[in-house]
Amino acid sequence: MDEVVVIGYGQASKRDLTGSIVKIEGKEVADKPNTNPIASLQSKVAGLYIVNNGTPGAQPDIRIRGTVSIGQVHPLYVVDGILNDNIDYINPNDIESIEVLKDPSSLAIFGVKGATGVIAITTKRAKAGQTVVTLNSNYGFKKLVDKIKMANASQFSTLFAEENANNNVATPDYSAINSNTDWISAVTRTAHFNANNLSISSSSEKNKFNMGVGYTHDEGIIRHEQLKKLLLSISDEVKVNKFLRVGVNLNASRQELPYDLTWVLDGARKIMPQVSALPKTFSYKNPYGLDTLTGPLYSTVDHALQNSGVENPLITIENEWPTKINREYRTVGSAWAEVSFLKNFTFRSTFYADMSELNDRQYIPLYNAYDPLRDSAYLISPRTSVTEYDNNWRKYQQDHLLNYKAIFGDHSLQVTGGFTTYYFGNFNRTGSAKQFTTGAATPIPNDPRFWYISTNYNDPTQTFATSSQSEYSTVSYLARVLYNYKGKYYLNASFRDDGSSQLPPKNRFQQFWAVGGAWEVTKENFLNDQHILDYLKIKGSLGVLGNQTSTYADGTPIPYPYYPQLNTGVVAIFNGTVYSAAQNSYVPNPNLKWETVASQEIGFEATGLQNRLHVEFNYFNKKTNHLMTYVSRPSTGLPDELINGGTLRNWGEELSASWNQAVNKDFSWNVSGNITFLNNVVVSMDKDLPTGFLSRAFQNNGSAESRTEAGHPIGSFYGFVVDGLYQSNLDILKSAPASAIGSYRPGDFKFRDVNHDGQIDYNDRTYIGNPSPKFIYGGSIGANYKGFALSIDIGGVYGNKIFRTWGSLESPFQRVNYPAFKMGRWHGAGTSNWDPIISQADRFNYNGSTYNIEDGSFIRLRNVNLSYTFNRLAGGAIKSMRVYLNAQNLKTWKHNYGYTAEFGGDATAFGYDNAGGAIPVVGTAGVNITF
Amino acid sequence: MKTFKKIFWLPVLATSFALVLAGCTKFLDRKPLQATLSDLHQGALESQSFAMYSTLRSYAGFSTLPWLDFNSIRDDDAQKGSSTTDGAEVNAEFETFQYTKNDWATNTYWNDHFYMINLANQALHIADSLKLTDPASLRDVGEACFFRAYSYFELVKAYGDVPLLNFYSTDAKALIKPKSPASAIYALIDSDLNVATQYLPINWLDQNNNNQFPGRLTSGAAKSLWAQTYMFRNNWAGAKGLCESVIASAQYSLSANFVDIWKDGVGGAGKNGPESIFEMQASVGQNGTNNYGVQWGTSQNVRQGGASTAWNLGWGWNTPTDNLNNAWSNSDPRKAATILYSGQYDGGPATGGYGATLPPYNPGTSLDQKYWSKKVYSDPAMRAYTGQIGPSGGADWIDHRIIRYADVILMEAEAANELGDGATAESMINIIRRRARGSADSTTVLPHVTYTSQAQMRQAIKDERRWEFAMEGYRFYDLVRWGDAPAVLGSLGYTPRNALYPIPQPAIDLSGGVLVQNPNY
Repeated sequence: MDEVVVIGYGQASKRDLTGSIVKIEGKEVADKPNTNPIASLQSKVAGLYIVNNGTPGAQPDIRIRGTVSIGQVHPLYVVDGILNDNIDYINPNDIESIEVLKDPSSLAIFGVKGATGVIAITTKRAKAGQTVVTLNSNYGFKKLVDKIKMANASQFSTLFAEENANNNVATPDYSAINSNTDWISAVTRTAHFNANNLSISSSSEKNKFNMGVGYTHDEGIIRHEQLKKLLLSISDEVKVNKFLRVGVNLNASRQELPYDLTWVLDGARKIMPQVSALPKTFSYKNPYGLDTLTGPLYSTVDHALQNSGVENPLITIENEWPTKINREYRTVGSAWAEVSFLKNFTFRSTFYADMSELNDRQYIPLYNAYDPLRDSAYLISPRTSVTEYDNNWRKYQQDHLLNYKAIFGDHSLQVTGGFTTYYFGNFNRTGSAKQFTTGAATPIPNDPRFWYISTNYNDPTQTFATSSQSEYSTVSYLARVLYNYKGKYYLNASFRDDGSSQLPPKNRFQQFWAVGGAWEVTKENFLNDQHILDYLKIKGSLGVLGNQTSTYADGTPIPYPYYPQLNTGVVAIFNGTVYSAAQNSYVPNPNLKWETVASQEIGFEATGLQNRLHVEFNYFNKKTNHLMTYVSRPSTGLPDELINGGTLRNWGEELSASWNQAVNKDFSWNVSGNITFLNNVVVSMDKDLPTGFLSRAFQNNGSAESRTEAGHPIGSFYGFVVDGLYQSNLDILKSAPASAIGSYRPGDFKFRDVNHDGQIDYNDRTYIGNPSPKFIYGGSIGANYKGFALSIDIGGVYGNKIFRTWGSLESPFQRVNYPAFKMGRWHGAGTSNWDPIISQADRFNYNGSTYNIEDGSFIRLRNVNLSYTFNRLAGGAIKSMRVYLNAQNLKTWKHNYGYTAEFGGDATAFGYDNAGGAIPVVGTAGVNITF
Repeated sequence: MKTFKKIFWLPVLATSFALVLAGCTKFLDRKPLQATLSDLHQGALESQSFAMYSTLRSYAGFSTLPWLDFNSIRDDDAQKGSSTTDGAEVNAEFETFQYTKNDWATNTYWNDHFYMINLANQALHIADSLKLTDPASLRDVGEACFFRAYSYFELVKAYGDVPLLNFYSTDAKALIKPKSPASAIYALIDSDLNVATQYLPINWLDQNNNNQFPGRLTSGAAKSLWAQTYMFRNNWAGAKGLCESVIASAQYSLSANFVDIWKDGVGGAGKNGPESIFEMQASVGQNGTNNYGVQWGTSQNVRQGGASTAWNLGWGWNTPTDNLNNAWSNSDPRKAATILYSGQYDGGPATGGYGATLPPYNPGTSLDQKYWSKKVYSDPAMRAYTGQIGPSGGADWIDHRIIRYADVILMEAEAANELGDGATAESMINIIRRRARGSADSTTVLPHVTYTSQAQMRQAIKDERRWEFAMEGYRFYDLVRWGDAPAVLGSLGYTPRNALYPIPQPAIDLSGGVLVQNPNY
């Protein structure tokens, strides 16, 4: 209870606070095979909902206590004081602790960035009076499990012939291709994971020094997907004299980012199994010379059957991944000085900078593919080119904090006042160059020497560069009071005034505040004579928080919301002469302000039974007002507009409990669990939103739709209700007419007449699923016996729905492989009442419906960790050594067809299964040595 | 000492606070690091006009598939084409008249036209509020009126009654209006085109007779469009008067050869020919530089299918039907210039070809369609020049000839015939036939049509329009206005309600019930 936790702009004893802060020790994330430490928090913290993905290093979709906005919903990261939206420069091994801040009392001090919650990360500092060297190393492998099942060659032939027969079309002859390829296997692999970290810390009376280096090689399960990361951290703190301390922190990272392969699983499942994934050894003309080469070429698909974006993904991957360079260098540093004066005062100034340089270059070589139909090689990539993308960002922050701390008799008081500014600048440049096509037409050589824009190989008339850039800044004043009387009654109050460059001057400053109170009941005399409760605190807080969000409907930020962007390419042409013109891409709104979240919490914390049982319960309620809404009204001819309006409510309960028991000096065990009930409802939408709802629609012609509408949870799936299939023409005649949707026949969906008007049309669409879980939970069991430690974590979600788009809503422009479950399709009266007739021409069935909705509940064996710790080895040269085995995602129990039941997204569209997102099983073995 | 310290701290704090406050205002003033409308002097009306030309070119509802669906693919002579699976829903919607209320094509067609109307209203609002009356501004006003009338004419033909938005507002609620009767829409079209005919110049020649803006709107374009709208209302006198005015302006003439109309070669050769009255301007530079193209040509050129990439010329939409091919006499030279045959020699320059032989028709392994529209058949020299060739095949540089002089002549013929002036009708129709015939034998090829009765001449004009404008997107609405649609299109599934398309469901949803669906849908 007396542990010190990080709060905004300072730290405090947890006992003095009225809010809900959960602290996770760094070792919880250090030995997990996740390059992004936040991914390891899944199911660990009540109120923290994390949706992971399988891409190395990628940020998970994180929401704290529900979806509070229709724009920006991710929490704010605060790493040793610097505010950030991305923490991929942090080495999980350098983390001392992670605090999750969830309640208004803790968050108001973050003002306009506080409403989505805060994840505060503290990195390691040297411990007093010792020099410690630690080495951590692990190695693991990843394997794809729960693979989606696609039709094999004979199943494809059966279904394709049947589809053509259904439509009275002759089946074309595709006998030239006759493999039986499992395309998912063909593009995936067993991947490897390796991380090595060394840290040194040393401390004396005057100086504390800490340094760490780490190297991680993290492969994805898709061929050639890999992340390489080198990390360095240094911190030093000098006590100059009794009054003055100064310090510096530096984190630097170099990343070789993964070649983007997130599209590959979806691309692979579309290929007909008849196409061979094996390279064909073939002779072809050297595209860079005049000689003939013999070597392996990947097959194209049968273009008469498959085209429009369907192609063997291996052709692209295998030829283009070696010619991709994507590196990011990032430096995050701070310098600070703290003066103590007048006994009770400290003044601390900190200057922070976070700078990133990203250089992403792709060279497109000349390469051939094998055309199995003509048994010939052809130059599928006939022209070399280079694209280069540079992204730099600059984040500068300064904090100046005056702290006053005093005790007057029974009154204890801590007051903080501060001033802080923040600047963010983002600068992008994209260039592209192509080779000459006239004259000698020399290709740009396949040599990294020339993978730049201007190399004299580039055709100047084919060389272009563009840039985009934006900045914003905030200026803020903040204040906080932590008070308690006799250590029994607690009061916390905080206030922040935020000025933002992104708002029109008249609304520029906005104020945020919170007040909290707590009562430590166990300090009361009437609880003196009992031995059940060791500690009981009842607490509550309320306040108004802000959310700095201005985005397009799809979540893309709008950097200057009250200056409209211009549409590009708006010109008139007369006789080849270009006359420029301009159109606003949206209507500027001079009255914009940030949305606010009125937030309340009430709960208790208790410890009992000789401190073995710990229970915490909270009820929270949050109402987001003035939702910043990007309103689209195309049928009026008007451009879009950002508008404040609409209200969203999130509420729920969190319960976490743990039991720790030392049975004897060799054996101890513990069990813990947490559960969070989440409720979300849109109370109202902007009255200027004429439809009354926000629609996010995907797939061809928007047949997969999420709606955000008053009275329903945010981003609810919308579509038809399938009551079965029409079994016969008689069945059709006996049913309500549905021709308003299109032509239909036996084997097509029988949609429900939801509004009972005797006909089935687009008015019969309704809400068919909520993508947010009803509750999320996690649990852990641990046991220690002498040097052995075993822990098992589980986690899961319950009650959310998934919208599966594959095997159902494919584009009419594409011929794709069938999922294996289509073998159970309707092919005559009585054969199925759920899977419709096989026919891409039956567009009637290509409407989103309950056919697409799947249960997203799952439970997962998240981690199993077994370790043994040796003490004092090699005559004391090694203070301790721990070896461990860890298995992550060992088994998932789920109910849907996809690779996983975890599908993230953005605020108003999430939970879509687009045939990707596979999450592997990861087995790791590792060692931690302390010298 | 303590007191001194306190006294010392106060002014330091106060001064630094004042400095901080002063600095903050500046620190928080951040304009975009790129131009905004206010930087670009967008009050200038001409830029507003240019934005409408840009919209005409770049919005699909005016330039590509949705426009083709509504205007051409719906008739009996054109079909979707492409491949069986590509855009399969269009077969039902636009070939067999099972109109859908919520589809990309219809939603886009509606939205894009109202977007143009909003742009026109914005320009007219600026002109009005700044009281701009100089000649250049008035020309811009004329252009805005033209584009608004053009958009409304397409909407009223497609949907019938539609909301009448003749004012500028950024308030969506103000723009949600119930449908106005078609007569009110036509009244706005009449007043807009009246303004446009007065304010637009007769041409854009400077004092040295150089055309400043080839392809920019003229009073002739406004009059021709206005005549089309009268034809749709059977206002024969109104149409005839306007056609005569266009003819009398002496600004236009028929291209000497029918095939010349469709030439669109290197350096813009063939664009904005003598016959061009209203033409969507497209341009693609060498190797794809300065790409201000339009997918009009790409969407219709030969689709590769199972053939080699040399025949990846486009998406292959809007192709001729067997019906057109069978009904059309081979003796009409326009047939060979309009229908491009799979598996045959393209006829060479005499019929608008380039000396190539097309791969055979054989869906799956070769070309997916028997016929293609030759009026957009792309010039191989331009394919190479623009780099829209092979895997990057396309024909984005081709202008859409929206109104050409031949239409004015045939409207004049039709209006005259309906007014009982058989002599004018006879003279006009034979102008068109003479040009089509070229140097062929006038006894066997498109012989002179002699007026014998109004009915006979009416049929002759209908036939002439069918051949002259085949694949250009006239026929469906011609059949509707003639009342011939049920007879001609009935076998394809057309019923009288299909004269109007249902209003897109999203527009009805957005209006919250203010917009009411068209009858019988």
